[in-house]
Amino acid sequence: MKAIEVRNLRRVFRATIGVVRRKIKEIVAVDDISFEVYDGELFGLLGPNGAGKTTTVKMLTTMLIPTSGEARVLGLDVVRSAEALRSRIGFVFGGERGLYWRLSGYDNLRYFASLYHVDPAVSRKRIPYLLDLVGLSDRGQEKVEGYSRGMKQRLHIARTLLHDPQVLFLDEPTIGLDPVGARELRQVVRNLQAEKKTILLTTHYMFEADALCQRIAVIDKGRIIALDTPEGLKTYVKDLAVIEFEVYGVPSNVLEQLRAQPYVHTVSVENRDQKQALLIHSPRGSQAVPDLLSMMNGIRIGNVIVREPTLEDAYVRLVGGEA
Amino acid sequence: MKKFILNLRLFWEGALLSYIALFHWLRPAQYLATMIWGPLASMLFFVFLGTYATGSDSASFYVIGNALQTIALSGIFGVTMSIGGDRWSGTLPYLFGAPANRFMMFTGRALMHLLNGVLGAIIGLTWGVLLFGLDLGRANPLALTLIILVATFSTSGMGLLMGCLSLITRNVMFVNNTVFFLLLVFSGANIELSRMPAWGQAISQVLPLTRSIASARRVIAGGSLSSVVPLLLVEFMIGMSYLLAGYLLFRWFEFQAKRRDTLEAM
Ligand SMILES: Nc1ncnc2c1ncn2[C@@H]1O[C@H](COP(=O)(O)OP(=O)(O)OP(=O)(O)O)[C@@H](O)[C@H]1O
Ligand SMILES: [Mg+2]
Repeated sequence: MKAIEVRNLRRVFRATIGVVRRKIKEIVAVDDISFEVYDGELFGLLGPNGAGKTTTVKMLTTMLIPTSGEARVLGLDVVRSAEALRSRIGFVFGGERGLYWRLSGYDNLRYFASLYHVDPAVSRKRIPYLLDLVGLSDRGQEKVEGYSRGMKQRLHIARTLLHDPQVLFLDEPTIGLDPVGARELRQVVRNLQAEKKTILLTTHYMFEADALCQRIAVIDKGRIIALDTPEGLKTYVKDLAVIEFEVYGVPSNVLEQLRAQPYVHTVSVENRDQKQALLIHSPRGSQAVPDLLSMMNGIRIGNVIVREPTLEDAYVRLVGGEA
Repeated sequence: MKKFILNLRLFWEGALLSYIALFHWLRPAQYLATMIWGPLASMLFFVFLGTYATGSDSASFYVIGNALQTIALSGIFGVTMSIGGDRWSGTLPYLFGAPANRFMMFTGRALMHLLNGVLGAIIGLTWGVLLFGLDLGRANPLALTLIILVATFSTSGMGLLMGCLSLITRNVMFVNNTVFFLLLVFSGANIELSRMPAWGQAISQVLPLTRSIASARRVIAGGSLSSVVPLLLVEFMIGMSYLLAGYLLFRWFEFQAKRRDTLEAM
């Protein structure tokens, strides 16, 4: 069974720009995407800022009407059967908003339970269970305004499980969390999978998708540019080696020149404290180093490392070296 | 049947939620102070101003008018804040993503403010009796109760409409203050309708409170229940119209939001 089926889904936004001479600009947020998510699968939608992840999730959760194409969740069309679908799905849009801060965590859950028509007898048992599941049992009676960001985001997960939905949409559930908070939240997501939920998760961290998801769709500028298992995605770069130069600033004309070499696939620069890492993907590996160094004449260079590519490198290659 | 009970529960939980949130915002002591001293302050102001301008035997005119005007505070401000608050808290996507009955979700928010309004009116009238010699001896208690209920209903209906506008216009306070002052001026609380220009009278006819204030004056002066029933019926219908207009606007807002992605626009 397919829990989610998306066919040629598109969404165009119109924005007016300019104050005096107003012009209408069309933004294609989601550009003809198709994919399927199987029952019980944890599926990742991975992409940089503005890739169209949130727009996709909004359409799949009946919050936004697609411009064209169609999508079904649990066999129900997201536009025509929106009403019926709502009680069978749950969703979380990342961040700490979307809760009543003046109420306790418990009272928040109580109100949302009634919005989902959960029987009071059921919710009386379910709310403590869910608070426990997300690690908030001892803080449930406190007002949400006193919660940390991670606690609020975990409360959101509990909120979306009140009516025991079969399919969950988690839009950047770890956004803004510190590494520890993010790790706790990922553990919560893993627990959900153990409860046989189908989950569509968006993130812009490759390692997060890798750690959680069975399959990953990489989305960029509204299009799906790769869809595979984490292992499958790694084969995108298996023929390449990554050469890392520690540098202290690189002029753009040098970058151009490096990019122009036939044996260089991608060139990207990452900031690391005072220094930068210049990452070059090339099938020639260490043999390319002397040539590359000769092109960087006059640039201060620290360590040079040649290594096997990681999934992160696959992602960088897919989205064009901008990450 | 089961659906009906679940909907009632939603209505009730929504009512409770908006009230608990209010309590968390105002401490109970603060809340009582607002309820008790608030009406007194506005009553003192208008009674002194009014009797100064028109002669001291007319105090009960202002006392009754302002006791009922207090209802507008919770009916309009309370309800608007309760609905508009969802924009502020970012909960709209989760409200509209739920299968809940929109009518129950919408109107439930008004219930507690309705009760609050009743309480406000009673406190206002009590001040009138204690400080300004208001005489309730000739008033039919049933008629007076009915008047207070109808007045809170009609102002809350208006509050629901305003609350919905606040989802759309993002300018809650401006809209609210305008309406509150419209009521203050045109409901007849402080100015006799007969002394208003024709256009002012026209406005007063479509506002909540106008007829309940007139009814209260009549009943306290010894008028019978049956003499005010027609007025109260019209005021009830006015409240209902505002409520329905608010509900339709609420649905329209949801519809637009799904087409244009404006749910979270701040
Ligand atoms: N309501 C809107 N009106 C106009 N443009 C919009 C609207 N919502 C999104 N967009 C545009 O659509 C594109 C996709 O946005 P979306 O929010 O789906 O990206 P995202 O992948 O979720 O990004 P992020 O990682 O930053 O959350 C962006 O270019 C964005 O500016
Ligand atoms: Mg997003």
